[in-house]
Amino acid sequence: MVRFKNRYVLCQVVAEEPRGRPCIEERAVGSAVKDAIARAYGDYGLACCSGAGPAVKYLNAYTGTVLLRCRKDFYRLLCSALPLVRQLESRGLRCPCFLSTLHVGGTIRSCQKFLIQYNRRQLLTLLQNCTNEDERQRIRQSVLSCSLTEEQSHSGEEEEEEDEDDGTETD
Amino acid sequence: MAPPPATFERRVLRSAAGHHYLRVRLELPDGGARPNAAQLKQLVVAALRELHGEVGAALPVDVLTYEEKTLSAILRVVSSGFVKLWSALTLLGFYQNRRCAFRVLQFTCKSWRQS
Repeated sequence: MVRFKNRYVLCQVVAEEPRGRPCIEERAVGSAVKDAIARAYGDYGLACCSGAGPAVKYLNAYTGTVLLRCRKDFYRLLCSALPLVRQLESRGLRCPCFLSTLHVGGTIRSCQKFLIQYNRRQLLTLLQNCTNEDERQRIRQSVLSCSLTEEQSHSGEEEEEEDEDDGTETD
Repeated sequence: MAPPPATFERRVLRSAAGHHYLRVRLELPDGGARPNAAQLKQLVVAALRELHGEVGAALPVDVLTYEEKTLSAILRVVSSGFVKLWSALTLLGFYQNRRCAFRVLQFTCKSWRQS
């Protein structure tokens, strides 16, 4: 007996306008992905991904991070259908957006590690691109705090810090 | 005692074949509308679209010959889509809201011109 192997696809919801963020719900993302698979691969593709499901394992509406799970055999099918998602729809509200795949991993843990590293790198690019001294100072602080508290804290705090900087950048 | 001579000859092609060929017969209830060649092709593509979506519908499938009298046709498909085409044909159940079925009489990966 061998256990069923899964693949976890870490992707980012890139919305065209920031007010589309309330659209990012577990059910909305799940049904959008399911629709995309059904359109591209028909009944066969839908059945391939519905056993273990393209289940949304983790969703952060604030950063737009989504973690999808599917069977190992069919992750290519899921990955090729992800670019076909063009909008999310929830409560009659629809927002145009797309999903960009960041990482495909075998465990949730490896995806989490990648996400932490990715966010840390994003902080550095933010630092290079920032325009005034105030932003620079805040990003520096968060870079320092996320590298100093590496041992004790876990990813959640770091993500939040990154979000704050995101906010100042776009405002 | 020598075994009776085989009535068919089996040929195995080692190298990757470009295309697979299917000889199919469409079974329809009596008195129904019979599809012409273009409608048959459309029926095959609709079956592929239903089971395999846009990716399946984009498979290069050709109707090489079609006899409207006997409703039999020879289809050609690239080898990677052979299983997809066969499964889609098997699961097709309706033509213009009437029951129908595809019977696969013969399949080969050898060119039909050589046979």
